[in-house]
Amino acid sequence: MRFSAGEYVCLEGDKANTLYIVKSGMLVGSSKVNEDAPLQNFGPGSIIGEFSLLESEPRELTLRAAEETEIQVIDQDMLQAALEQHPGWFKSILTFLAARNRIAQKNKQKNDLIQALPSLLYIFSAHLQETGADSIPLTLLHKKILALNNTSADETNHLLDSLESLGLLKTVGNHDSEKQVKVESLQIIPLLYDTLRYRALNQKVSPNILSMTEQMVLTTFVKIARENNVPLQNGLCTITTDQLKAEAKKSMHGLTLTSRTIAPLIDKGLLKPSTSFDIHAPLESISFFFADFDRILDLLELNRIFPLLDKNLV
Amino acid sequence: MITGDSRKKVIPPTRSHVKAGFVVYSPDSGKRNIIILDEGELAAIDRSNGLKSTVFKMHPGDLIGVAALLEHETFRYPIEATSDSTITVVTEECMESELKTLPLWMLAVIKSLSSKTRKLKEALHKTRCENTLKSLAEFCSHLEAKKDYALKDLAKEFQWITKIPKPTIQEEFKALARRKFLVLDNKGEETAVRIANPLLLQIFVDYLNATEKGGNWEPFSLDLNQKRLLVKLSAVDQSQEMDAPAWIAFFTAQGLKLDVAGWIRVQQFGWFKPSGDNAFAPNTDKIKYYLAALRYETNIRGVL
Repeated sequence: MRFSAGEYVCLEGDKANTLYIVKSGMLVGSSKVNEDAPLQNFGPGSIIGEFSLLESEPRELTLRAAEETEIQVIDQDMLQAALEQHPGWFKSILTFLAARNRIAQKNKQKNDLIQALPSLLYIFSAHLQETGADSIPLTLLHKKILALNNTSADETNHLLDSLESLGLLKTVGNHDSEKQVKVESLQIIPLLYDTLRYRALNQKVSPNILSMTEQMVLTTFVKIARENNVPLQNGLCTITTDQLKAEAKKSMHGLTLTSRTIAPLIDKGLLKPSTSFDIHAPLESISFFFADFDRILDLLELNRIFPLLDKNLV
Repeated sequence: MITGDSRKKVIPPTRSHVKAGFVVYSPDSGKRNIIILDEGELAAIDRSNGLKSTVFKMHPGDLIGVAALLEHETFRYPIEATSDSTITVVTEECMESELKTLPLWMLAVIKSLSSKTRKLKEALHKTRCENTLKSLAEFCSHLEAKKDYALKDLAKEFQWITKIPKPTIQEEFKALARRKFLVLDNKGEETAVRIANPLLLQIFVDYLNATEKGGNWEPFSLDLNQKRLLVKLSAVDQSQEMDAPAWIAFFTAQGLKLDVAGWIRVQQFGWFKPSGDNAFAPNTDKIKYYLAALRYETNIRGVL
């Protein structure tokens, strides 16, 4: 088949079951689905549409002749005729190669998403801290993540959907140009970024990730504060040891609150004792504990979503 | 085209019967064969942790070793017969003889599928960034001004985010330092990074984005009159609000040319922001942005 310069060979999404081989000239491939991707050139010897031939997949690209171009078309009858001249296992090899390519494509997509998460969190955290706002324009986020890590707008939107399903943020607004990505808490995105960075750079779990016991103690602390409308002073909330022990008895499923149970939270600076703390002394020697209430809420939220992150992402 | 003669040159695969427990493939053997299970059952076995565990089972019609044979990618588990089985073994020589009889287009399809898969696998370990300098500039534009950061810590964090190789990161830090966007300060064994003005890095990223698209970048496309307007505008009271005709009259009174078309152009630059009742006030951030771009044009263009 011959095509003049500028003539379309096929459109992206067209139903197809043939393979094109460029014999002479040049075809240019473009995609609307992946608009950020550069145009692809196909010169003599290039083959296009392996999956259309093998699996009747729609065209992945719109192809246009850049100059006078001749192409050879291979259809499924020709494929069948060629396979019949070869042993049966040969077809299995072709099927295997196609399936393996599909798996590699999926792995690459998953990997790209996982790889793009730190970029998104870095840009988002930086914007929240630089501006003091609780949102970022979606177009700005797209632009910056593209510049930082070449992450496409589609991938960014996919990540935002995953984070939205975890309740971390919300995309508001109707038109793309007006959309804003809004966070529920100003600290949770920077906290998540720091936690992932710590794990990646130090090859160990971040101190922000709490044990089940630590989470239970902090949840009890929050419950008491909320149920008793404990007033905050400069963001700090104070709970007496008696209150903590009594509530722990009810809600910590048989776990006894002791100095040893509380010690890791004191070491991490999350709970502060009224007087100097001795792990060997009875808990009653401390009359009350105080803590940065918002920080505790953010940490509990982080610990809720962290185990779900990988699953939700891909 | 395939001819009848070419079939004669084909080396046939070997078919054999194996007893349960027979190892039909061992990674240590160095052999690159395709094994097709005709009857019975095979299993891939993992003994790496001292215990024998089954990775997967193969059923009649399944095959292994295609990647090993076509792409020299070693299959890492031994394959054992879990029951008496019949297998077909396609050796390297057999496959080679079979490939020689293929029409060229089918050979091209096989090569293309293999090569695309290999490239996808290689891409898993590579950076996605095409412009590593732009990527680093974007990263650094979010750092605090005039604060010392340890180079090794920043490089490590940036590498985690982007997968850009360490030597490239070092080079790009030097490239930004040559443009005076940041200072690399050697303090004994540690090198500190200090950002002079994060806005300049953001401007640099925008400039690179525009040049990559092949278009003109607005701050560097201003004519002399527009530059004069910008300088004048930077000197007026930034809280001043006037409607469009009043602004045009203001600039005209200052001896600067500004007609309606010029006003629309200035609006497109974003130098004014609406402030209600058809009034406009100078947009300080945009004015600062354009002034910085013009002032540091040589640094941004890299023609120091």
